[in-house]
Amino acid sequence: MALDQFLTALDSMLGEARACLETVDSAEALEQLRVKYTGAKSGALKSVQKMLAGIEVKDKPAAGKRFNEVRDGIEAALSQAAQRLGCSSQQESSGPVLDPTLPGLRPRLGTIHPITQSLEHLKEIMGRLGFNVTEGPEIEDPWHNFVALNIPEDHPARDPLDNFYLATAKSSDPAAQTTQPARLLRSQTSTVQIRVMETQSLPLRIISLGRVYRPDAPDATHFPMFHQMEGLWVDRNVTMAQLKSVLRLFATSYLGGDVNIRFRPSFFPFTEPSVEVDYWWNGQWIEFGGAGMVDPNVFQAVGIDPEVWSGFAFGLGVERLCMRRFGITDIRDLYRSDVRFLRQFAT
Amino acid sequence: MLISWEWLADYVTLDAPIDQVVDRWALSGLNHESTEWVEGVPVIDLEVTSNRADCLGHIGIAREAAVLYSLGLKIPAVDLPTSKQSVHEVLEVENLFPEACPRYTARVIRGVKIGPSPEWFAKRLRTIGIRPINNVVDATNYVMMECGQPLHAFDLNRIASNRIMVRPATQKESFKAIDHRSYVLDPQMVVIGDSKSALALGGVMGGSDSEVSETTVDLLIEAASFEPMAIRRTARKLKLHSPSSHRFERRIDPQGLDFASRRCCQWILQFAGGQLLDGWIDTGAESKVSSRISLRRSKITRVLGIEVPWERSQDILSRLGCSLETQQDSLVALPPSFRQDLTREIDLIEEIARVHGYEAIPEDAMVPMVASAARPKDTMMHTVRSIACASGFSETLNPSLIGKSSIDRISPWTLQDPLGTSVPLLEGASHLRRSLIPSLIAARLHNQSQSNRDVRLFETANVYLSQTEPLRGDPLPKEQYNFGCIAESEPRLVRGVFEEMIDRVWGQEGPVLEERMVDFDFLDKGSSVAWFLQGSMIAWVGSLSRLLAQANKIDGPVALGELDLDLLLASARSVPKLRTLSPYPAILRDLNFIVEEGVLWGQILSTIEESAGELCKEVVFREIYRDTKRDGQGKKRVLLTLTIQSDSETLKGEQADAVVSRVVSACEAKRGAKLLAG
Repeated sequence: MALDQFLTALDSMLGEARACLETVDSAEALEQLRVKYTGAKSGALKSVQKMLAGIEVKDKPAAGKRFNEVRDGIEAALSQAAQRLGCSSQQESSGPVLDPTLPGLRPRLGTIHPITQSLEHLKEIMGRLGFNVTEGPEIEDPWHNFVALNIPEDHPARDPLDNFYLATAKSSDPAAQTTQPARLLRSQTSTVQIRVMETQSLPLRIISLGRVYRPDAPDATHFPMFHQMEGLWVDRNVTMAQLKSVLRLFATSYLGGDVNIRFRPSFFPFTEPSVEVDYWWNGQWIEFGGAGMVDPNVFQAVGIDPEVWSGFAFGLGVERLCMRRFGITDIRDLYRSDVRFLRQFAT
Repeated sequence: MLISWEWLADYVTLDAPIDQVVDRWALSGLNHESTEWVEGVPVIDLEVTSNRADCLGHIGIAREAAVLYSLGLKIPAVDLPTSKQSVHEVLEVENLFPEACPRYTARVIRGVKIGPSPEWFAKRLRTIGIRPINNVVDATNYVMMECGQPLHAFDLNRIASNRIMVRPATQKESFKAIDHRSYVLDPQMVVIGDSKSALALGGVMGGSDSEVSETTVDLLIEAASFEPMAIRRTARKLKLHSPSSHRFERRIDPQGLDFASRRCCQWILQFAGGQLLDGWIDTGAESKVSSRISLRRSKITRVLGIEVPWERSQDILSRLGCSLETQQDSLVALPPSFRQDLTREIDLIEEIARVHGYEAIPEDAMVPMVASAARPKDTMMHTVRSIACASGFSETLNPSLIGKSSIDRISPWTLQDPLGTSVPLLEGASHLRRSLIPSLIAARLHNQSQSNRDVRLFETANVYLSQTEPLRGDPLPKEQYNFGCIAESEPRLVRGVFEEMIDRVWGQEGPVLEERMVDFDFLDKGSSVAWFLQGSMIAWVGSLSRLLAQANKIDGPVALGELDLDLLLASARSVPKLRTLSPYPAILRDLNFIVEEGVLWGQILSTIEESAGELCKEVVFREIYRDTKRDGQGKKRVLLTLTIQSDSETLKGEQADAVVSRVVSACEAKRGAKLLAG
């Protein structure tokens, strides 16, 4: 195409567009004109631009320059008309613009405490294995914390210095003082076993999780308050092989790989046989917790016939699992409320 | 329990390497703590559980090894020459406290020459951490470490009137022990005394006045048994723990006294010379014999889930020292006196299991499936925590016990005193929390001290409230599960969080709450609000009083709130149910009321909800502003929007007007609200 022809077409397009845009009287009409001239698919500018290809090489710079001027002119007329009509043109943003030089505006979100995350994780895994969550009080009576758990009066675990007994209220009436029943902060979540066996029908499969209390001078691995998970399965023919299998399923789910476990004999008043449970992970045996078959004395204490029913129980410290999982090295950090610590466990 | 590998060889010949034996011990109940070489001898530290007093001596540990490796156990024979003189001619023993000391035995050796023990003997003691003293004291310690029976040697000539009295201590009796410290005793403690004074604190420690010294020539060798409870109490109370008390607390072999006593005399005669008087003094009867235990073969399988060959089970029990009467499918076992922990069928099954080896129990047994589901509480807690996190609050956990500061006394849920523990949890913290707020303020202060700014924290935990009126029986104190939060922001944020939690957990059909201003002394006066469900407070929100904030040097605003999650859970809905959307257009009406300053939004809202009728679908708070020039002091303007819509027709303007007019008259009548025209 000859350069003259091209320039004439451009000029007449610009003239026509200006005329229309000066008189346009509605936003809808303006939008139609915008599409007519600057539409990306079949706008007039687009069609003219295509003609550029047919211009002789030597004329191309001049043609291109004029094309740009016409395009700018039409766009200027468009935005003038838009301004006159009080609506925004295409270049203007519909709202605040993104300043690409700035970082994003992040939502401010809180985090869940790593112990809560661990508790929820444990509940989730044990739930899949059919264990329902139960709860019991943190302030207990000696029956549930000791007697029914086969911990006799002369057992060292009952020593007042090894427990947080509630102080009896100061009363002017000495008789009232002596009749106040002993209460203590539970030293283990096994108390919930007793409460569940006293009230629920068999068979049952439960876990209980929560705070327990033992006088211990705080250091990097000890705190006088910590969390335990306790599991209990009572049925007609529960065996130690099933205990081992459930704990292996648990460890495999928790650690996310096929894990072997082993039993080491131990001693707890409320289970017999009693074992310490280790799992094999990263080339070493790691302590998991204590377990065993429910002691016949415990069954008898809650009126269950140990000749008919059998069961296993296991318990583990949640802090230890949690600390290992998150790489926490000082248990006291868990209870210091420092937000620089807490915010690290965002998931 | 420290074990010398070289010493152990006296009783059992082990070919297996130490590491392997240690592993076998660990997997059969003797946990391995460490192995160290002392003076060229491997010394193994084994953890002995409290039920296994028989393993508190080398013979007991050797027996375990012999059982595990099916080897013989060599118990040394003791054959002693005695003089013609009878022990009864030189010594009398009276036991006035058999409840704490069921058996007291004594032998007498005369004419010993005190000196050092032979080197090999002293070295054995040194390797397991016992300082050699002299040939007599060393013999008592050696035998204790051999068979677990604590012994004590007295200088016979320091016993007044040659008469020993086993008696309760007198109140505030003073006693000087061989550690050269004085202890104040009480009548629950056992004293081994003569007619004048206390010579030893029974089962715990000897006294300095009667201890064996260079000049000693005549000896009393005591072998006694003490009640575990009495010894534990004494050791605890005096903070005086000894190898003796450790063993007596775990109940030593009641029939092992004679062997231990003679064995000790044997070493003394060998190293220090002298003559053993004939006979012994024995105040107690040969204590109770173990009882016979029946074991069913089928029960083993029922407990363990595996079959242990019957012959293997019998072999294990008999190697452990039980006498057996065996039948086809059952047996009767008489456990040895040193295994007082074996009293029931299940005890025998545990012995079989641990020696047979738990590795024989498979870890792929059938576990039948059962249904289980998340509790409503778990579902609610997920909602509550999600809302808190989405609002920028991070979860913290704090100790359940706090102190007595002005902050710690904050108690919005009860006027009762806090429950206390007899021992503090942490220093100064012996009161159970009645509210989560004191801990949260402490957390805020900690973060402030670390220059952590703009802190928002929440905790969900129990608070502990004494029962105001004891019910029948002896109820436990009330534990109320709370959500508490603190924010460096304006308190409306906390309020909004609570409103959202209540709305989400209860849904549309939740119970009606009454909103009231409350006057807690720890909050800014007149700026706190609480919600009540049938008279019980479910939540409150406010900001910490300036007085407390200043007194505790808290920077920035302190918005606080607490929510009773037990009450929230009681009305939780299980699943949200769809409410069909109306296809007809809604009419929005803005209302601008002038009300007294003290009128609560909740009061306006409930008045509107009660009066508007079912066409009013939504009431939205817009804003509040004050124009004292036009409205006068003490007034504010509340701007709100009603959404009026029908499910069955397109509403006409008059129908919406009717709704608005009902709302306006109700607000005017009940809340003194004046509609601002236009």
